[in-house]
Amino acid sequence: MYSTTHSHHLSLHKESVLKNIKPEHKILSTFLIVISIAFSDVENLFQILSHSLIVFLILFISKIPLKIYLKRLTIDIPFIIFALFLPFLSSENNDIVYTLFGIDIYQTGLEDMFGILFKATLGVTMGIILTAVTTTIELIYGLQKLKLPQIIIAIMSFAIRYIDVFIDEFKRVRISMRSRGYQEKGIKGLIPIAYASGAMLIRGYERGERVYLSMISRGFNGSIELKKRDYDNSVLLIFLTLISIIVLIVDKYL
Amino acid sequence: MSKYLKINNLSYAYPDGHKALKGIDFSINKGESIAILGPNGAGKTTLILHLNGILGELKGEIEVDGLEYSSENIGKIRKTVGVVFQDPDDQLFMPTVIEDVMFGPKNFGYANEESETNAVEALKMVGMENFQDRAPHHLSFGQKRKVAIATVLASKPKLLVLDEPASNLDPASRRDLIDILIKLDISIILVTHDLPMALEICERSLVLNEGVIKEDSLTKDILQNSQLMKENRLELPYGFALHHLGEE
Repeated sequence: MYSTTHSHHLSLHKESVLKNIKPEHKILSTFLIVISIAFSDVENLFQILSHSLIVFLILFISKIPLKIYLKRLTIDIPFIIFALFLPFLSSENNDIVYTLFGIDIYQTGLEDMFGILFKATLGVTMGIILTAVTTTIELIYGLQKLKLPQIIIAIMSFAIRYIDVFIDEFKRVRISMRSRGYQEKGIKGLIPIAYASGAMLIRGYERGERVYLSMISRGFNGSIELKKRDYDNSVLLIFLTLISIIVLIVDKYL
Repeated sequence: MSKYLKINNLSYAYPDGHKALKGIDFSINKGESIAILGPNGAGKTTLILHLNGILGELKGEIEVDGLEYSSENIGKIRKTVGVVFQDPDDQLFMPTVIEDVMFGPKNFGYANEESETNAVEALKMVGMENFQDRAPHHLSFGQKRKVAIATVLASKPKLLVLDEPASNLDPASRRDLIDILIKLDISIILVTHDLPMALEICERSLVLNEGVIKEDSLTKDILQNSQLMKENRLELPYGFALHHLGEE
């Protein structure tokens, strides 16, 4: 018997207040808060503080363990690396703040760096929170509630359903390759993997056809509807989302 | 007696020219169960795909429950004929078991609540009612097979078509499956290489080979006809005795 892949779930089993809230609310809130962070003004301390406060408050009530949060925050690293190069570039007036070993550090670049660090980190944090308190099925359900086109919902749910089947199949192929003396070494070792991938692709395609046949034989007519699920409303989340937007608007236009 | 399914001179060639079925003729009565036996590549799977009108163009006539095969009737035919496919992974694609079982009834126009009642009932029939919220891909193979049967039963078909339902099952799961099928109060078309299973569930069998029906008679007579068995690449399991059948 081959072990079955239990897909690596991002959602945590730990109980959190945010867990039972309507997924569509969570998705929409995350989206709106991230948007208002993205449009916020980095030179404005009030905006930085209030947005950080909102995001970290949500992080706090989500009860994600700090260790897991920091581990997942590593996805932010590429942005940070990119941002660290920015002070050496200038976008507008070429004001030099400091010269480090003969290399100029520009003021505009420095501001851009802070902007990216601030926005990326908060944005990624919101994403981490959303995926930690929402299962993949709930995400799809929420997107369906938000009236995303049926076809996209169908593609997403198929992807979640069949990725494990596909990984398992590929594992079996590799086991059978290894049991016939195959060693994954060097460039030449990749050739059989390429052939196996091709075979897997064809098998995947054929499976797709068979799945489709089994669907039409059960009367499939173009829409996949998930079962109704019960969730709570969250006044707090709506409130925080509104605050986030208001902070942006008030500060920009008043 | 009213014929539930009538097939008249059915032929089918795949787009590459391979003739899978050549003039198939048979019919079954209401409530009757038959097994379709035959070697690999005999056209068994092609035949059952036709029962549901999935392969499209066909030569010949198929009449199900008084409905002729036509584009207007196809929805009704699919509702009354439920096909369980060979690989349960092909049939189970929704995020949870209950949603998968509700997929058919919903498509066939049952209301949401009714679909759920049907689905729970179907899961009970196969003994899987405690697995409703599980993800299909985390089930064992035998459990997947049972759920796949439930997905079809939930639409309340009058004819259940099973393609190799016993393949890859351990003996106990195979026994469960046979018990479930015997208890069902509907017609069954069982496509299988498992001859003892065919004998247990279906009184009558068809032998299909090279796209032609070679024999249509009682299952026990077919299994006792060693000449016919050999010609059609069929074989009883080693040590399996049939001598008691004549005495019944």
